[in-house]
Amino acid sequence: MTTREFDDIQLERVREFVWEMPREGDMCVPARVLASEALLDEIGEDKTLQQLKNATHLPGMTGHAICMPDGHQGYGFPVGGVGATDVETGCISPGSVGYDINCGVRMLKTNLTYADVQGHEEELVEALFANVPSGLGGGGIVESGIDTVEAVLSRGVDWALEEGWAVEDDLTHCEDEGRRPDADSSAVSQKAKDRGKNQLGSLGSGNHFLEVQRVTDVYRDDVAGAYGLEPDQVVVLIHCGSRGLGHQTCTDYLRKIEKRHGDLLADLPDKELAAAPAGSELAEEYYGAMCACINFAWVNRQLIMHRVRQVFERVFDRPWEAMDMHLLYDVAHNIAKKETHTVEGEERELYVHRKGATRAFPAGHPEVPAAYRDVGQPIIIPGSMGAGSYVLRGGEASMDLTFGSTAHGAGRLMSRTQAKQEFWGETVQNELREQNQVYVKAQSGATVAEEAPGVYKDVDEVVRVSDALGIGDKVARTYPVCNIKG
Amino acid sequence: MGYELRPHTADVAVAATGADLGETFAAVADGLAAATCDEIPATGERFSLTVRAEGLEALLFDYLDRLIYERDVRGVLPVVNEASVHESDGGWLVEASARGVPFADVTARDVKAVTYSEMRVEETDGGWEAYVVLDV
Repeated sequence: MTTREFDDIQLERVREFVWEMPREGDMCVPARVLASEALLDEIGEDKTLQQLKNATHLPGMTGHAICMPDGHQGYGFPVGGVGATDVETGCISPGSVGYDINCGVRMLKTNLTYADVQGHEEELVEALFANVPSGLGGGGIVESGIDTVEAVLSRGVDWALEEGWAVEDDLTHCEDEGRRPDADSSAVSQKAKDRGKNQLGSLGSGNHFLEVQRVTDVYRDDVAGAYGLEPDQVVVLIHCGSRGLGHQTCTDYLRKIEKRHGDLLADLPDKELAAAPAGSELAEEYYGAMCACINFAWVNRQLIMHRVRQVFERVFDRPWEAMDMHLLYDVAHNIAKKETHTVEGEERELYVHRKGATRAFPAGHPEVPAAYRDVGQPIIIPGSMGAGSYVLRGGEASMDLTFGSTAHGAGRLMSRTQAKQEFWGETVQNELREQNQVYVKAQSGATVAEEAPGVYKDVDEVVRVSDALGIGDKVARTYPVCNIKG
Repeated sequence: MGYELRPHTADVAVAATGADLGETFAAVADGLAAATCDEIPATGERFSLTVRAEGLEALLFDYLDRLIYERDVRGVLPVVNEASVHESDGGWLVEASARGVPFADVTARDVKAVTYSEMRVEETDGGWEAYVVLDV
């Protein structure tokens, strides 16, 4: 048997791209890493594997704690982590969802080709940057009071539809039609609402961005046809989350759990894994609050998407409907959802925690929107500013291997502090423009350096592993044209 | 005495030292500001805050969380932090102040939250040291 050892952690090769960390000590279940040798070398360099091992201690963990091919060190649960816990005997863990609840990605299609956009890049990037709030303190697209925040938390994209910020078609192309039925806005604190009200319709900063892209490759014609994607087509990718409202909600529940369930916490190797026992008052409250934050994040991305439509109308001087600017799909990659999965032949209801991992349900699954049920759910995997992004579809093997999940991006390789030593924002910006014809505009040069293409893993390799394992199948690749960030 | 930003694959860590707990907490808070922006302008008014918690790590967590909250709600970046830390009623108390630089005066990035991951607050021969990972 092939084994690899990283510090004190040993991994056994189960088959190509599947590595197992056997159960030992207080681990509730074994763990698995889905990676090629090259990706595993990178995963083994930081504390990802120790964090994955720690996550196996969560009560009620089922099957394996799993690290996706783009996994890297985070806090508590590793980024790229998937963990399913029993909804009756397990727990729900805010720290295993992360601070940015429903951080995710959506893709907006157009009928424009790259040739239509060439020559307009400068104007487009300036107009997007001027009209989509980003960075710290940039405000939001909607000036909202507490009543608006309450409505958004409760009704999600239904609110946006009523207010003229969405069309019906947007709802039918979003998970849960853009509204979590379990949302409980009363479980979200006033502090969180205060933070959220100035930020509704904003990108934030860090790795969040908005990118105009062109489709460079199509790998599965039939699925790409069903998604409405073809070579040379221009699309827009939006990556952001629930902003300060979600961050505060996670923080609030970490502290509540620490105070009320200290005994459970004392048995966990990392306080950041804080979990509320299934069935407890706090588990129910957190689930309701998290679902409300999911709604907030969907509306946040919806507002930005609708603003992008308006910007394109001005730049290309025609109505957005004439440019077929329709939502392909919206995927969450920091979330926990109650889902039914078959485990050892038995149907079980589980909280599936995906922290830096994307749901990847295959064709035929009843929770895939009707528009995509025959081909499988679209998955959007953003790459860095200098690399491609990918559209995948939920693979047949995902339900057996990963509780219906795959990767969420390229995965970071280099720290932000090191990135700023190695790259200079302006140089990165100039090189991208001169060598790659990618137009970048950011609030801060430091953000450009921190997000330079060289700080990320090879997204092609991440997607190759996902495709080979059959958890997320390659459909199309896109490449940046314009990018704005905070 | 002061702070250093330390590498972390996804986020940013702050390592801080001080002669006493208050100085150490304030140094971590200055590290939080440094993780947010590179150059700090001289503008803004000072404001005060008081935070209580059941333990020292919890106090540091809540203090930094409160600064992030004040940042978003007041629309200012808290800089040049001062703090004093005492035991109080079986728990801990930090009385602190910061200068709030208006967002309009600064190019800053968002720090999302404070985390407990790898957090340390420890007494040393020369005073105190603390280590905090921030979610960026």
